Amino acid sequence: MNDQALIDKANESLKDKVLAITNPAPRRIFLKVAVENLLEAVNWLKKDLGFTHLSTISGVDLGQSFEILYHFANNYCSFTIRTEIPRDNPQLPSICELIPGAILYERELQDMFGITIQNIPDPRPLLLPDDWPVGNYPLRKDWKYERPPEVIPGGKK
Amino acid sequence: MRFQIPIGPQHPALKEPIGLRITVEGEIIRDADIRLGYNHRGIEKLAEQKTWIQNIYLTERICGICSHSHTTCYVQGVEKLMELQPPKRGLYIRTLVAELERVHSHLLWLGVAGHEAGFDSFFMYTWRDREIVMDILERISGNRVHYGINTIGGVRRDLDELQVKYILDSLEILRKRSEYYKNLGTTEPSFVARLAGVGYLSKEDAIALCAVGPTLRASGVPMDVRKDDPYAVYDEVPFEVCTADTCDVLGRAVVRIKELFQSYNIIEYLLKNLPAGEIAVKAPRRAKPNEVVSRYEAPRGENIHYIKSNGTDKPERLKVRAPTLANYAATIKMLKNGFIADVPLIFAAIDPCICCAERAVAIVDARTGQEKVVPMNILKQISQKISANKERKREAEWPL
Amino acid sequence: MLTKLTRWSRLKSPWILHLNTGACNACDIEVVAALTPRFDVERFGILLKATPRHADVIICTGPATRQMKDRLIRIYEQTPEPKFVIAVGACAMSGCVYRGAYNVIGGIDQVIPVDVYIPGCPVRPDAVIDGVVKLLNKL
Repeated sequence: MNDQALIDKANESLKDKVLAITNPAPRRIFLKVAVENLLEAVNWLKKDLGFTHLSTISGVDLGQSFEILYHFANNYCSFTIRTEIPRDNPQLPSICELIPGAILYERELQDMFGITIQNIPDPRPLLLPDDWPVGNYPLRKDWKYERPPEVIPGGKK
Repeated sequence: MRFQIPIGPQHPALKEPIGLRITVEGEIIRDADIRLGYNHRGIEKLAEQKTWIQNIYLTERICGICSHSHTTCYVQGVEKLMELQPPKRGLYIRTLVAELERVHSHLLWLGVAGHEAGFDSFFMYTWRDREIVMDILERISGNRVHYGINTIGGVRRDLDELQVKYILDSLEILRKRSEYYKNLGTTEPSFVARLAGVGYLSKEDAIALCAVGPTLRASGVPMDVRKDDPYAVYDEVPFEVCTADTCDVLGRAVVRIKELFQSYNIIEYLLKNLPAGEIAVKAPRRAKPNEVVSRYEAPRGENIHYIKSNGTDKPERLKVRAPTLANYAATIKMLKNGFIADVPLIFAAIDPCICCAERAVAIVDARTGQEKVVPMNILKQISQKISANKERKREAEWPL
Repeated sequence: MLTKLTRWSRLKSPWILHLNTGACNACDIEVVAALTPRFDVERFGILLKATPRHADVIICTGPATRQMKDRLIRIYEQTPEPKFVIAVGACAMSGCVYRGAYNVIGGIDQVIPVDVYIPGCPVRPDAVIDGVVKLLNKL
């Protein structure tokens, strides 16, 4: 197995669904697909290439849209599937059907970016505190945090 | 009749104080649910406001036991973004500290496993010997826990002849002691009886739930980032990936003991083949817009950082996934159909952070809503009673 | 007479509760290392307890996170009087590197009163022992 063979296989099986495929470093492949084809791409990666291990899911705020990266790994390389969803309608299909271990990462995405995951088996919040105000998503770039003034016990000297 | 038991959040078992809600029927766990966030500090957001150098010290403080893992993973990624090639000697020292950290983490875990199984003298023994490793680390870096040895482009402190000799001497003692633990931990009948068969996780489940590290390797999957995707100098160092196929807590203990010996060999190889030269190269302040996925085999499993730069001196995005998070889904699976009394042991099995001895479990009676606090040591006594009674029925129904 | 007896026993054997309020675990392993053979605080009669109801001294590590705030107050209230709080590590004193993170309130003293601060990131086990002994001298 080498990087070029994997890229060729991706182009062969997914054909025009591949929006971009890059290989910036050895053992690192980034494949870009549209969000409608995400499940198909994950399924292909799992069934045909045997990438069963999902390392994590990262989200990035690009301003007008969110970029979601699914980092898969097998015993040769790290394969990342990326997709973009618009900021005003952040909807993403759940991949828990295919990869049951994805559940915690999808819940984290919901908490941090306010992305709605469709068909998620368990949509409750995971990380943020119980008294967290609704509609605040800390990892969005326009969300700023102001530290409240601290009280010095015993007063300032 | 089903009961719900909340465990935590005052729960030093895991890196994060974590809330667990366990549904039980009698003694048997039917369902488990996890609530994180007690230890959520917002490091990923904070990292976007700090410079590349400041973030080394922030990532170091993600976890205190595998502090070197997170910095190495981060620094490796940033070096790729900045197109730096650290000198060989720097990489050797980085790997050396990483392996010493693995030794201290596994010794810590062994002690905790012994403690949870009711074998406290084992706990005291391993923690005493862990101090030898801590002394070595203190000699190399000047600190016992947060070594602060990594920097972008290499390491910050060099080794001299005396230190090399000191480490090799200490290694001899550690080898001897570990040999003793190996015999004790894998042949002591009561200890083995307590660990065997607890927290079963089949190979298929381990793969499907994306478990990592010793948890995965104890289920017979030889996955190790050091071998699969070599970083630092692991492509030059000879070592083996340790696995076990018992799929239970005993297997996880065996994998960790085997890894201890592998680590000793790696350390010896590194010290004997330490190349001369510089330990670090100078790093620029900014990184070009790019992205990188950095992987690292921490003592508990695969650690992955995704770093995106935007041309300034601060990262655009730093995503950190620590190995313990990846193992939570598998833990829930392991807890199901086990006994309440096995909860501490199963937790201990995924994560060596369960060091802080006892913790309290509140038992809520579903009928009256009354809350009762039971310390873990009483649970442990119950568990020891159960394991003394050999006849176990995994699927026993409570007669209610 | 009884108060004299309790005071004497408290001096001779303070029982501690170790509480992680959001620490990175470095201080926690150092606190536990203080209990193991190299440092061995049990020779001073210091015992680690599991529940706040048995404890005299709460040893807090880590900054107070937003989610832990209410639990921290609850644990403080469960501890019987007289009670003492030791803030262990730079995070428990001021928030350390996490200062400014959205889920961190600050040091422990933002939530409950603190008697002794032990600096260090992380503290050494010797420093933990020193801190506890200093607290005993205050009694």
